[in-house]
Formats: sequence, structure tokens, C-alpha cells
Amino acid sequence: MTLARPVLPPLPPRGRRWGLLIGVAIVVAVIAYLAFSSVGNALVYYLTPTELLARGPAEVGKTERLGGLVKVGTISGEAPELTFVLTDGTTEISVHAATAPTRSFREGIGAVVEGELGADGVFEASQVIVKHDENYVAPSQGGLPTRAFDPGS
Amino acid sequence: MIPTLGHLAVVIGLAATVYAAGAFILGGRSGDAAVLASARRAMYAAFALVAFACFAMVVSLLSHDFSVLYVARNNATTTPPFYSVISLWAALEGSILFWTLLASGWASLVLYRYRARLPALMPWVGATLALGTAFFFAVMAWPSDPFVRVTPIGLEGNGPNALLQNHPFMGLHPPLLYLGYTGMAIPFAFGMAALITRRTDEEWLAVVRRWTLVPWIFLTAGIVAGAWWSYAVLGWGGYWAWDPVENAALLPWLTATAFIHSSMVAERRGTLRTWTHALVIATFVLTLVGTFLTRSGVVNSVHAFTTSGIGAWFASAILVTLGVALALLVWRLPDLRDRRPPGAVVSRESAFVFNNVLFLGVTFAILFGTLYPVLVEATTGAKASVGAPWFNRVNAPIFVALLFLTGVGPALPWGGASWATVRERFAVPILSGVGVVVAAWALGVRDAAPLGIFGLATFVLVVMGDEVVRGAHSRARSRGETAPLAVLRLATRNRRRYGGYLAHVGICVMAVAIAVSATLGIDRTATLAEGETLSIGPYTLTYDKLVTEPLASDPRVIETRAELTLAGPQSGHMATALRDYPNSATAIATPVVRTALGEDLYVTLLGYNPDARTATLRIFINPLVMWIWTGGAIVAFGALFAIWPDRRRTAVAAAVAGA
Repeated sequence: MTLARPVLPPLPPRGRRWGLLIGVAIVVAVIAYLAFSSVGNALVYYLTPTELLARGPAEVGKTERLGGLVKVGTISGEAPELTFVLTDGTTEISVHAATAPTRSFREGIGAVVEGELGADGVFEASQVIVKHDENYVAPSQGGLPTRAFDPGS
Repeated sequence: MIPTLGHLAVVIGLAATVYAAGAFILGGRSGDAAVLASARRAMYAAFALVAFACFAMVVSLLSHDFSVLYVARNNATTTPPFYSVISLWAALEGSILFWTLLASGWASLVLYRYRARLPALMPWVGATLALGTAFFFAVMAWPSDPFVRVTPIGLEGNGPNALLQNHPFMGLHPPLLYLGYTGMAIPFAFGMAALITRRTDEEWLAVVRRWTLVPWIFLTAGIVAGAWWSYAVLGWGGYWAWDPVENAALLPWLTATAFIHSSMVAERRGTLRTWTHALVIATFVLTLVGTFLTRSGVVNSVHAFTTSGIGAWFASAILVTLGVALALLVWRLPDLRDRRPPGAVVSRESAFVFNNVLFLGVTFAILFGTLYPVLVEATTGAKASVGAPWFNRVNAPIFVALLFLTGVGPALPWGGASWATVRERFAVPILSGVGVVVAAWALGVRDAAPLGIFGLATFVLVVMGDEVVRGAHSRARSRGETAPLAVLRLATRNRRRYGGYLAHVGICVMAVAIAVSATLGIDRTATLAEGETLSIGPYTLTYDKLVTEPLASDPRVIETRAELTLAGPQSGHMATALRDYPNSATAIATPVVRTALGEDLYVTLLGYNPDARTATLRIFINPLVMWIWTGGAIVAFGALFAIWPDRRRTAVAAAVAGA
């Protein structure tokens, strides 16, 4: 390859840089502080059904968050009598929700519920948070196909 | 037959793009014009082939050919033709097909337009674009084949995702977003070509600026249209939830916006050159990261939710792209040395530096918040998600600082500003801003967010207005033009500057609308019996009756709607519904929105009792929401104005070239 080499300019004096660098450093520090100082509190932790049941009867009556997939074919009723099953693939827990779920609640979707596990093994949810819309995720077992058509089976 | 041909087109398209990449590299090294021409033709052919594959998919969808798995999963015999066509991009495999169409379309457009220009750069631009397109063809040939067949063939399909067929906006928002996303490969290709050939000069910068702004306009429009879709369809009364898919679209927009600003400094002052190059690379890599996040299930996964193999493909593509691009950048660092000392702390270029640091800061914050749950799960095994309050708390101050710089930057001179200049330029804008805050306070606004944004937006608008008046005044005096003509001429002769101002006006409009709608709205939930009346704000809402019937356009869909009579500023009848789709277990909300200049009345049906005939309604009064969409349109229009070809300059350039 024969390519013209551009003429390099002399290096600039460094004096002026400091004022700008200090300004930039302050901005970066503020952003980093904003981001890191509060992320721990902002995290919404949740247990999977397996983890919740593994904690045993001591869990009954304690406020927890439970996360899992809404099992296909288990949704019935409307809030305040909405019930469905949350699964993590190995363990399932029935959920009874008193309030209407947010946004695009439907079967096969990931959801986090807040509430407490009752003595009867049903999770009484005061809040149902639907995780992000999973339109673009390929179906896993139980996700698709649904009732209307079952390709390949 | 048609699906088989579609699959064949994908395979031949892969071969064509691989050939094109090889021929571009060989031709770039030898300078052989015939080889380069054949490489270009191979890219045009790849575009034609993927266009045919898309046609084959659309025909399969329209004819409900359930032998194709994608059609069986995303179509039904009752799906209306419009939703059949747009199902092309409604799920994973189809969206990759559509994506490849747009990517190869952009590549062909650029190769055609520059077929006789920039002879040193174009082979490498072509090679980069061909490799990128080849990757998407390969994804379709292996892990995500859109034309997979099934036997036995079902009589009925699953139908499109209920949410996606509930609103015609699905026909608009994804194509806009994809055009923006795929178009960001063009500046990246020019960036790679410039590093390879060591032509990182002003000519290169001008081309890259233009070809960043083109996809940027689509990306801007796509993001705003997506927010609008979310508002109009999902029935939650909001428009932005900081979920990973929204963040994925915003990340490359932020770095591309940073590039648009830093490239002006690089062009005018010869500084920030390495940084500007890095932004081009970052933008493209972030489009890949966004695709990876949204398509592989990494972020959304509650448990091992993904069975698609494309995650590994995209992860590898990201690593290879990042590695090669950064290695090239480091190798060429000596060429990218600053040509001038940096400006003083109070100067226009420093304002641009702070602008860029803030854009990058907000990019990192959003990326961090999006990926943090993944990191936590990988390191501690605990499952977690970061909520919208965190994003608001961290990002709001950064966006406010950016809005402030929007006013400061354009009014500061290059190099450095004296105290006298600063006082002269900013005294009136600051006083106007303070005046507006006081006036708003006197009118009863007490929340800090809208008050602050009112003041800042006024400051920014007055600074820009002052600039326009100054320029127009001197032009009117020296040329004897009338004031409106002088403003028009000033703008059309300095398209970049005044297009940029217009985009900033749009940003101010959006900022005010977001601050007001987020803090001054009303949100109420009520359960009403038939005939009962509710008063909210200035409106009186009467719930007339509950009606359940099949939808006229698709009788498989059962709609239950609460019919309402509205009295107040906007009177009349309206209905808000829940629709039961055969392939969705829960009903899909169909909110009704009455839009006015001042505020939206937004009513969504949360639930109903068919025996008692009661309806539970959630009613929002959302102020100024339509100004978010209007502001977005102004931003996009400003950018379009800025890149619109200048007839005079083109004519001069042609005359110079011809002489």
C-alpha cells in the first residue's frame, strides 16, 4: 500500500489542559457518585419459588418478593380475584393477587410479585410487577406454542 | 415453494456478501476498478436477494402458509392483511430478516452514491459494510432461520402477539427504529476506512457527520414513536419505563448525539479527534449490544428463558468488532493528534467537551443500570432488577446539565471568552429565566422540577433567539433585506447552525413537557356502576354501560368496552376497552385518549364485573403530553434541515470540480 502520510502538527502546550481536566474530573465524579451511591437501594431483590420454599415454614407471613414465569394456562379471574402460578422451571407457587397487574401481564411472561406466603402455600400478592415485555425472546418450554396450534407435536 | 425460494435467497445472499467483502479488500489493496465494481454489484445483488426473501415471507404471511414455523407462530387465518404484513418484524426471525433488508439497503445506497467519489476510502467502507451484512445473513442461515418448515401442517396458526396487533403504530415505530439502528453501520464503516487508509481528515468528518445525522433522524423518530406507542397501547398512562429495550434504543442515540457535537469541534478546531473516532465506534458497538440485550434474553431472563442460539453469535460479534476497532484506533493514535491547543475552560469547545462528558456519563449510567442485575446474578447468584426511580434519580440531573449547556455552548466564542462577553451574552437570558420561574411560582406552580425546567428552557430559548436576532439584524442592515427575509436567508445559508438551533428548540419543548407531565398530572382509580358519574379535574365522566361483542375487523377478538359520556372542556362519547385475543390469556387494554394542546384525558379499563355491570377505570390527566411528540418532531425536522443539501454550495462545488 502506498499512501500519503499526513503531516503531523507539533504537540500542543499542556498548560491549558489542567483547568478543563479538573472540570471534567468533577463532572465524572458527580455522575459516578450519583450512579453508585444509590444503586444498592434501588435494586429490587427477589426470590425464586425454589428459594422461597427452601426457607421453610419460617417464611409464612413475612413480606417477600417472588419472581418467576407466569405458567401458561394458569391465569384465572380478574383482580381482586386474580390467581395464577409462578414457576422457575422446577418449583411452582400459586399466587393470589388483590390488585391489577401493571402493563402487559399475560401468561409466559416474567413477573415479580410482592406480598407474603400464606400458611396454605398460596402467595398473597399485594403488587404484581410485570417484567419487561418478552416479545423477542424465543419460547422456552411452556412459553409457546399455545392452545390454538401446536407445531411439531 | 415460495418459502424454499426465500431460504435459497438468504443462502445466496450470504455468499454474495462474503464475496463482496473479499473483493473489496483485494480491490482496496490493488486498486483494480473492475474488482471493486464487481464487489459493489455483489452488494446490490445481496440487497435484491434479501428483498426477495422478505417478499417471500410477506407472501407466506398473507397466504397463511402454516408450513412455515414463523407463520404458524405469528399468524392466523383471521389476521387482517395489515397485521399480516407487519408481522414481518413482529418476532425474532422475521425481525432479523427485515433488519438485514435495511442494513443491505443502507450499504447499497452508500456504495451507489459514492461509487465515483472518495476512491481511497470506499473499498474499505464497502468491506466493512459487506462484513456486517454477511453477519446478519449468517445469523439467518444458521441460528435464526426464518424459513424453518413444520410437518404436519396445522390448519390454524397462533396469531400475532396480541399487544402487537392492537395498534397500527406497530407499522411505524419498529421500521423507524431499525432504520436508525442499521444506519449507524455507515459512520462506523467510514470510521474503519479512515483508520485503515489514514485519511482522518476534514473531508472524512463532513461525510461521516452527514451519514450519522441521517440514521440519527430515524433513531430519534423511532424512539419518540416508541414512547408514543407505549403510551397509546399499554394503558399505563406513561411513556417511558426505563426497561431494557427502551434503554437499548437510547444508548446508541446518546453516543451518536455526542458524536454530532464533538465532530464540530474536531472539524473546526482540530481537537477531540481520537475521542470523536471512539464515539463512532461506540455507537455502532452499542447498536450490537442493544440487539444482543433485547434478542438474547440476557437481561429479561427470570430463569434460563432463552433457547435461541443468537446470543452467542451477537456476543462474539460484539467482542470481535470492539477488539478490531480499538486495535485499529490505538494503532493510528499518532495520526489523530490534536492540531491545536485545547480551548480555555470558558469557551465553546470546552462547552462541547462538557456536553460530551455528560452524554457519555448518562450512557454509562443507563448501561450500568441495565446490566447491573446481570452482574449481580453472575457474581452473587441473587436475582434483582433496577427500578425506574433509580434511573430517574441518576439521569435527571445529567439531562438538566445538558439542557443548560444547550444554551451556553452556542453563545460562547471559540477559543475563550472574556468576562465581558459572558456578561453581555448571558445577562438577559438568565434574567428572563429567573423571571419565568417567578411568574410560574406566582401562578401556583410549586414543584421544583417544572420550575427549574421552565427557567432553563427560557434561558436556552432566549440565548438562541438573541443569536438569531443579532445575525438577522446585521444581515438586514448590510443587505437592506426585510427582517423575515433576513431570518430565512440567514437560516438557509447556514443550515447546519440553524438546523441545530431548531433541534435545540425541540429539546426544550420536550424537556418542559416531560417535567410537567411527570409531576403535575392526576391519576385516579375508581369502580363505577352503570349510570354513575365521576368528577376529575375539570371533567365529568359518566359510565353509561358495558358492551361485550366481537371485533368487526377480527371476529376472534372479543372486546368488552365501557361506554362513557364526557362533559367539561371536551364533551362527547368515548369508550375504553379490554380485548380478549384467542392467543393471550389476559385481556389487552385499549385505552382511550382525548388529546388537547394543554392536557390529555386518558382512561383505561382495568377490570369489570359482568354480573354487577361495574367497571374499574383508571383515569389520568396528563398535561402537555402531546408536546413530547411535537418536540421530538421538531428535533428530527431540525436535523433534516441541517443536512438538507445546500443548492448553492453544491453548485459551487460542481463548478469547481468541473473547472
